[in-house]
Amino acid sequence: MPITTTRRRLLAGSAAALALPAFVRAQGAVKPRLTAISQWSAGSDGAAITALGKKFEEKGGVGQHSPVPGFTTEMMNKLRAQIIAGDPPACSQLKGPEIAAWSKIAPTVDLDAVVAAADYEKVVAPDLAKLHKPTGKWIALPLQIYSTNMLFLSKRALDKAKADKPPVTWADFNALAEKMKTNGVTSPVGTGGTRADDGQKFEASLAGISPAVYRSAIMNLDKKALEGPEVKAAFAQMRKLTEWMDPNVGAQPYATNLKRFIDGDMGMLIMGGWAQGVLKNAGFRLDDFIIAPGPSDNGKPVFLLNADAFIFWQRKEADLQAGQMLMAQLVMDPAIQTMYSQITGSIPVRTDVDLSGEGWSDGQRTTAAALKNAMGNNQAVLSLAHNMAQENGLTAAMIDVFTEYAKNKTIKPEEAVARLADAVEGAR
Amino acid sequence: MRDRSFAPTRILTYLVATLFAAAYLAPLLVVVLNSLRTNEEIAQSSMIGWPQHMAWGNYALAWSGFCVAETCAGIRPYMLNSALITIPATIFSTLLGAVAGYAVSLWRFRGDVWIYGIVTLGLFLPQQMRLLPWTIVLRDIGLINTLSGLVLIHTIQGLSFTVLFCRNYYVAIPHELIRAARIDGAGFFRIFWRIILPLSGPILLVTVIWQFTHIWNEFLYGVTFTPGQQQPVTAALIALSAAVADIPQHGVQSAAVIIAALPTLLIYLFGGKYFVRGLTAGAVK
Repeated sequence: MPITTTRRRLLAGSAAALALPAFVRAQGAVKPRLTAISQWSAGSDGAAITALGKKFEEKGGVGQHSPVPGFTTEMMNKLRAQIIAGDPPACSQLKGPEIAAWSKIAPTVDLDAVVAAADYEKVVAPDLAKLHKPTGKWIALPLQIYSTNMLFLSKRALDKAKADKPPVTWADFNALAEKMKTNGVTSPVGTGGTRADDGQKFEASLAGISPAVYRSAIMNLDKKALEGPEVKAAFAQMRKLTEWMDPNVGAQPYATNLKRFIDGDMGMLIMGGWAQGVLKNAGFRLDDFIIAPGPSDNGKPVFLLNADAFIFWQRKEADLQAGQMLMAQLVMDPAIQTMYSQITGSIPVRTDVDLSGEGWSDGQRTTAAALKNAMGNNQAVLSLAHNMAQENGLTAAMIDVFTEYAKNKTIKPEEAVARLADAVEGAR
Repeated sequence: MRDRSFAPTRILTYLVATLFAAAYLAPLLVVVLNSLRTNEEIAQSSMIGWPQHMAWGNYALAWSGFCVAETCAGIRPYMLNSALITIPATIFSTLLGAVAGYAVSLWRFRGDVWIYGIVTLGLFLPQQMRLLPWTIVLRDIGLINTLSGLVLIHTIQGLSFTVLFCRNYYVAIPHELIRAARIDGAGFFRIFWRIILPLSGPILLVTVIWQFTHIWNEFLYGVTFTPGQQQPVTAALIALSAAVADIPQHGVQSAAVIIAALPTLLIYLFGGKYFVRGLTAGAVK
C-alpha cells in the first residue's frame, strides 16, 4: 500500500517538475550528474548515503560523492577550499543556521519551484523549514530528523526501583532518580560527558521546563529570557542531573557506558534517538530498555530538533543542474526518506509518513508521534547542542558554560545564568 | 667492593623508569588487546579487557574490508595514497633543506640571516592559518585535489624544519674545510656533494624520521585538498571513528590504527638510536 502512494506522489512530483523550463532543458539534453560532499563515511550514515546514491543512479543519474571523514569543521574546510577554487559541489551536507551563513559566501540554487511542485512545505515543521529558506527561498533540503532529548530507561534499573512507567515531568523524573538511588542504582543518570552531551543535558532541562522560554532565550537570544527564572531553574535541574551521574566518567562517547546502562548500573539516559540503533548494533535486546519523550513540565512532549540537510550550490553545467533537481526530488520523496531513516534510525522529515509498517522500531514510532504532538502544541524547538539553534561560534561559547557547569559543582545556578548571558554577549 | 647494581639510587631509577614505561605503554596495550576483540564483545563488556576469542578478522577487515562511504576496500588504498604523498615529500624537503642549510651556514651572503629567519618562521605559524593561502596557491597553479599538490605543500612546509636542523648541524663544520676545497677549485655543489653530504648522515636521518612521521600523520591538508578516493590513511582512520550515530567500532579501529602506524614505527625502530644522537647534534646553537 505505501508503495503505490509513493509512486503516485513521485510521478506527480516529476510531472510538475517537468514544467520547469530549466529542468526540461537540462533533462532533455544530458544525463543528470551530482557532485556531493558530506561527512558521512562510516557505519549506518555511510550505508544510508550510499543507498541514496544508488537510488540516484537508478533514476539515471551519475553520483560523485566525496566523503570528508571527521567532524563538521573538516567538511567546512573542504567546502571552503572548493568554493574558493571556483568548484563548489552541486550539493553538500550542512545544517542549521550555518545554511544561512554559508549562503552568503557563494550563490545557491533556488529550489522554490521544485519544492512547490512536491507540495512539501506543509509537511515540514515550520521552524525547520525556516532554516532551509533563510532569505525566503528554499536553498537547502532537510534529509532526516533526530530528537536530542529522548529518555532511555534501563529496564533493570526500573525493576530495582520497582517502577514501570516513564516519568512525564521533571518532578517525576527527579522522584524516580531518587528512588533508583535508594534502591541500589549506582548512577541514576547515565552520561558520557562530551561537550554535546553536556549541552543536551541543559537544553533538555530548559525545554522541558518551558519550551516558550527555550525559544526566546536560546533560539532568539532574548536578554530578558536568558536572565530569567526559567533558565536558572534549568541550571538547577541540570545540577541535579550531574549529582546523579558517575563523577568518574568524562569526555567519553556516551556509547562507551551502554553496558552499565543495560545492566541497571546507570538508570536513565537523555540522548538522541540515534542511541536506539547504537544499542541494537551493540547486540543489546530492545526489551532491555524503554524509550520515552524527554521530561516536560506541561505534560506534552517537547521535541528538540536536530536535522541533517543538503544545501545546493549554483553550477552552470547542465548535467549538474539536472542532477540537483533530481536529488531535490529524491530527498523530498517519502519512499526515500523511509529508506534513509530505516537505515540510520532517525525519523523522516515529512510528518505524513506512516511508521506503522515493518522496518520501523517502537522508538522511531514514539519519536515521530512526539514530533507530531510537539508541532501541534508549538513545542518543537531547535537543538543548541547539535548546532541547530545558533551559528557555531555562539554555540561553542554557550556550550563552554554548560560543560564547565557540569564538571565544576561549586558553580551556583544563579552564577551560571550570569555566565551564560556573558558568553552570549561576548560571542555576538 | 659494593655491587653498584643494587645501590638504592639505581633501584629507584629503574623503578621510576619502569613506572613511566608502563604508563606510556598502557594505551598501546589497550589498543593491541582491542584489536583482537570483536566490536560486540567490547560493547557488551568494557573498553579494557582480555580477548575472549582471538578476533583476527579485525585485521582482515581493517586492511581490505571496511567501507568508507561507497568504497569498501579497507585502509589499503589509503595507505598507498599516504605513501605516494609522504615518500616524495620527505625526500624533496630533506634534500632541499640540506642544500639550503648548507648555503645559509657555510656560504655567507647578504641577507642570509634574514632568509634563514623567514624560512624557519614557518615553524611558528599554525596549520589552520596557512590553509586558506594554500587553497589560493593550489587553485592558481591547478593542483587542487591532486596528490602532487599535497607533495608540494609538505615539501615547502617541511623546509622550515629541515633548514633549521641542517643549518645548525653544518654550522659546526670548520670553515677551513670549505676554504681548502675552494682553493682546490671545487664549486658550491661539488663541495656539497663531496664534502658536506658524506658528513650529514645523522642529521639527514633526523629530518627523514621527522618529516616522514609528520607527513604520514597529517590530516587537515590531506582531507581538505584531496577528493574522496585519494585521501590519506589518517582520513580513513577518522572515518572509522567519527560515526556519531553508531557504536564505536573499537575492534576494527584498533587493528587499523596498528596497521597504519607500522611504517612510522618501523622507521623509529631502525633509525631511533640515531635520532636522539642527531637531534642533539643539530640542537639550536
